[in-house]
Amino acid sequence: MTCDEARLQIGAEPGASAAALEEHLGSCAACRQFRDEMRALDANIRRVMEQSPEPQPARPLPAPPRVWRRPPAWRPWALAASVVFAVFAVLAVWLLRPSDSLARDVVAHVQAEPESLLAQEQVSTQDIDAALRSAGVQLDTTPDTVTYAQSCWLRGHYVPHLVVQTSHGPVTVLLLRHERPSGRRAFQEDGMSGVLVPSGQGSIAVLARGGAGVEQLAQVMQQDVHWLPDGR
Amino acid sequence: MRNSEPESPVSSMRDPLSAVNVPADLAQVFEALRPDLLRFAHWLARDRAIAEDIVQESLLRAWRSREGLKELSAARAWLLTIIRREHARLYERKRLELVSIDEVADGHGAPRQPEPDGDLMTLHHAIMKLPLEYREPLVLQVLGGFSTEEISRELALSSTAVLTRLFRARNKLRVLCGLQAAPDVNGGEVEA
Repeated sequence: MTCDEARLQIGAEPGASAAALEEHLGSCAACRQFRDEMRALDANIRRVMEQSPEPQPARPLPAPPRVWRRPPAWRPWALAASVVFAVFAVLAVWLLRPSDSLARDVVAHVQAEPESLLAQEQVSTQDIDAALRSAGVQLDTTPDTVTYAQSCWLRGHYVPHLVVQTSHGPVTVLLLRHERPSGRRAFQEDGMSGVLVPSGQGSIAVLARGGAGVEQLAQVMQQDVHWLPDGR
Repeated sequence: MRNSEPESPVSSMRDPLSAVNVPADLAQVFEALRPDLLRFAHWLARDRAIAEDIVQESLLRAWRSREGLKELSAARAWLLTIIRREHARLYERKRLELVSIDEVADGHGAPRQPEPDGDLMTLHHAIMKLPLEYREPLVLQVLGGFSTEEISRELALSSTAVLTRLFRARNKLRVLCGLQAAPDVNGGEVEA
C-alpha cells in the first residue's frame, strides 16, 4: 500500500483499520500522524454534526384574513325590527309597570280587602252617598250595581272605595281627591290591571283582576265624578 | 438518480416482516427519529426552516409508502434516504434563495448553542461551506451511519468515487481548520 492509497483510505474512513493499512502504518510515521490527525478531526466533525439544531421556534400561525363580506340585505331590516321590538318592549314595561307608589298602594289596598270583591248584594244609595260624602265627592249618576261602598283610609285620607259589578265581573273604583297624577297611567301588578285617570284636582283609580271592564268604567266615572268644594 | 422515485432501501432486506406486521405505532417511531431526521436535513439544507419543511414532507411521503418498510429497525435508514431525496428534489425543483454562507454558518439568526470550543465553531463553519457534493457523503457517513457501499448506492457513484469525495471533504476541512492539506488523491492539493 502506498502513502497515497493509505491517506485516501484514512481520509475516507478514519476509523477503518484494514490489515493492509495497519501494515503500512507500521512502517510510515507520516501516515500514522495523518491518521491521528484525521481521527481527531473526525471526532470533532461528529461532535459538531451531532449537535442538535435548536428546535425551530413555533412559527406563529398567520392571523386569519379578515374577510369583509357585504352584509345580507335583510340585516338592516332585522336591525330595525330589533330596535322597534326593543322600543315596544320598553314601552310596554313602562306602561304596565306599577306607575308609582300610588298604584302599588291602590292595588295593595284592594288586595287587603278581598271581601270587597266577594260581595254580591247591592249597596243602598244612602250607603253609597255616605261613603262619597265623607270624601267630598258626588256622582251624577249612581250605578245601580254597586256591591261595595266604603270610606277607606288610604295615604293619609279617607277615600271612597266602590265595587261595581259589570258584565266582565267586579271592578273596583277608588276616588282619590288628594292624588293628582301627571297624566293617565295604566298599571299592572299582582294580577290586577287598572288605570289612574286625572279628574279635577284629584284622580280616579279603576282596577280589576285581569283588567276587563276597566276602561269603560273609567270613562263613565270621569264623566260622573264631581269633587265638592268642601271635601276633606 | 437523485430524482428517481424513492425506493425503500430496506425493501429487499432479509427476513422481512410483512407490511401488516409493521407496528401500528409507526408514527411514534417517526416522532422518535424526528430529531435525527431534522439534524440530518439541517446539515444538507443548511437552513433550519427548510430542514423542517423537508422533514415534514419526507414523513408524509414515508407514511404514504409505509408498506415499503419491511422491517421497523430499518426505519431510520429508510427515512434518511427519503430525506436526502426530498432535499435533492427540493434543491432541483426550486432555485432556492441564495443566502450568505457566513450567515448560515452563524446559525441564520437563530439562537445559537453555546460553543465552548472555538475550534468546533470553526469546524461548523467549515462543514457548512463544503460544496454539497462533498458535504452530502460526509453527512451520510457521519450522521447517517451509511457505509461506503451504501453511500455509493445512494448517490449512484462508484465506491472509489465515494472514497475520493470523503477524502476530499475531510481534507478540505483540514485546510479550513488550519491544518496542512494532504496531497490530493490525484496528486494535487485540494483547494481550500
